[in-house]
Amino acid sequence: MRGWRRWIPAAAVPAAIAVGLLAGGASAVVAPPPPATPEQVLALVAGNATRTDARQFSGTLEQRTDLGLPAIPAQTLGPGSGGPATGPEAAVLELLTVPHTARVYADGPEHVRVQVIDQLAERDLVRNGRDVWTYDSKANAVMHAVLPDRTLSHGSPGATAPAAPTASPDDLARRLLAAADPSTEVTLGAPVVVAGRSAYALVLTPRTAGTLVDRVQIAVDAASGMPLAVDVYAKGQAVAAFHAGFTSLSFGAPDPALFTLVPPPGATVTEKQIPADAVPPHAGTSPGDHPTPDVGHAPGWDAIAVIPADRVPPDVLASPLVQQLAVPAARGRLLSSSLVNILLADDGRVLVGAVPASALEAAAAR
Amino acid sequence: MSRAEAGAEPRPAGPATLRLLGSELGILFRRWRTWAMFGALAAVPVLIGLAVRFSGRPPSGRGPAFLNQVTENGLFVGVVALVVCTPLFLPLTVSVVSGDTIAGEASLGTLRYLLVAPAGRVRLLAVKYASTALFCVAAPLAVVLGGTATGLVLFPLGQATLLSGAVIGPGEAFGRLLLMAGYSAVSLLGLAAIGLFASTLTGVPVGAMAATAVLAVVSQILGALDQLEWLHPWLFTHHWLGLADFLREPVAWDSLGQNALLQAGYAAFFAALAYGRFTTKDILA
Repeated sequence: MRGWRRWIPAAAVPAAIAVGLLAGGASAVVAPPPPATPEQVLALVAGNATRTDARQFSGTLEQRTDLGLPAIPAQTLGPGSGGPATGPEAAVLELLTVPHTARVYADGPEHVRVQVIDQLAERDLVRNGRDVWTYDSKANAVMHAVLPDRTLSHGSPGATAPAAPTASPDDLARRLLAAADPSTEVTLGAPVVVAGRSAYALVLTPRTAGTLVDRVQIAVDAASGMPLAVDVYAKGQAVAAFHAGFTSLSFGAPDPALFTLVPPPGATVTEKQIPADAVPPHAGTSPGDHPTPDVGHAPGWDAIAVIPADRVPPDVLASPLVQQLAVPAARGRLLSSSLVNILLADDGRVLVGAVPASALEAAAAR
Repeated sequence: MSRAEAGAEPRPAGPATLRLLGSELGILFRRWRTWAMFGALAAVPVLIGLAVRFSGRPPSGRGPAFLNQVTENGLFVGVVALVVCTPLFLPLTVSVVSGDTIAGEASLGTLRYLLVAPAGRVRLLAVKYASTALFCVAAPLAVVLGGTATGLVLFPLGQATLLSGAVIGPGEAFGRLLLMAGYSAVSLLGLAAIGLFASTLTGVPVGAMAATAVLAVVSQILGALDQLEWLHPWLFTHHWLGLADFLREPVAWDSLGQNALLQAGYAAFFAALAYGRFTTKDILA
């Protein structure tokens, strides 16, 4: 009987798939050229930041977190599920706990479109000069705002440039680099491959022991100097607690039609006023907002932000979700994750920091 | 017995295979059961359309995706129906057809006659899979065409709003609807191969059909469990709802490519398993 030979194809197919996967993973990616000191890579980044032609790209961005929190999709929050009714805290929690894919189109910092790809839905953010739109396909809602003049006439596109309101590795990286003062050791790790491109790995290690951040790794495209991925590692955790990076990227100006948004028929349109002295809307409620906006501005890794009681939105504290996640602690209730701790103090203040819970409690006692 | 004759034709492989395929398709698409399934699939958009038409405007953000678009553009009846049918109805019909392929012949006692020719078993498997694949193309088309007809009768044919907020005309919307049907067809090819394999395992067609349908549901349940995230990209149902990517601007083609690769992998593996099983099996019926 040669019966067993008939089963050879059935064994060969998985073998061929495995070989294909291995070959695909190890496919030829050129190693980055040698100039490999942290300073040179930083200069590469700075060079990319000032060259406008290098800021024209289309790419797919992936963001995921592993904070030790349960996944909380926005749909499960509150009785009026879905749409903007659930408020910013739901959007932030959703961003923090659920992985996202976004398509990013950019033609310089002033023409940007970010499409957060949800299942059977999409959230868009479009910036065209001073006009900013968001579109939520589930609610069929458009938000429009006009940025104050100031953000356009800004001279240096360095650390304080108006950032695209998303966790684009580009912006995040520049904020982090701006904070690289004596508190941080900047080194260069082994080269990595991101979105099929070879990249330098900048590693930022906090010099203080009082923070939950173990290290931050930024992948910088060897060819263009564009930051391709950002990984934040928490102490004692092998997987990155926060990751944002391109899975595909191509340079060149995207279709200009992408940078306009005409409210579709039947959509509810809200106009948002932004006072001239306010921060650009990336500190707000837009769905593409990134969850760690303050890392770059913090004076140190172990800094603690204290929000006074009268500035805390009451509905955030009252939300059943926060009630459920927060556990009783020494001086209030604690929202704990591997990277960030939040203490809802008994006196109404909210303390936030990438520090152990004990440090927050000590700060609350002061 | 036209089938028995076609199967009994001597060697010249090409024409004989084609003739076998032709007779197979004839039997499949002349079957009362096949048309009942097409009818049931086409009835889904009719029901959706009638419900929306006579219950007023649905609240935005509730119910199946895209339902709030239906009143503005009738073509969206087809989109809603396709999304509604993707998790259960479409895989169910494909399970019935693919589970019946070999087991059905065995239970009727016609399998022996089909296999008179020496190269018969491989050819029969290929022909059976090809006819099932054609059914995979026809089934989503039935949903889409039923939806389009319903939409044209009950609703105005207006502008269609894409997920990205862009607005397209009815012609392009219909084109994208057909692309979505094509995407659904590709999505079902892996399941069709699984059904083919299940069908070689048993002489009881209902068993193969049920096993295939259950697998489709199990795969979707696994896909909903966050704890198994590492497994998700390998599930044949993983990209099923990616058909909405045709409603983005610009169209996201990469999910179609990934889906096609995944389904090709499933089809190759289970076709090989079916070959191993079917060519070593004793045909008694």
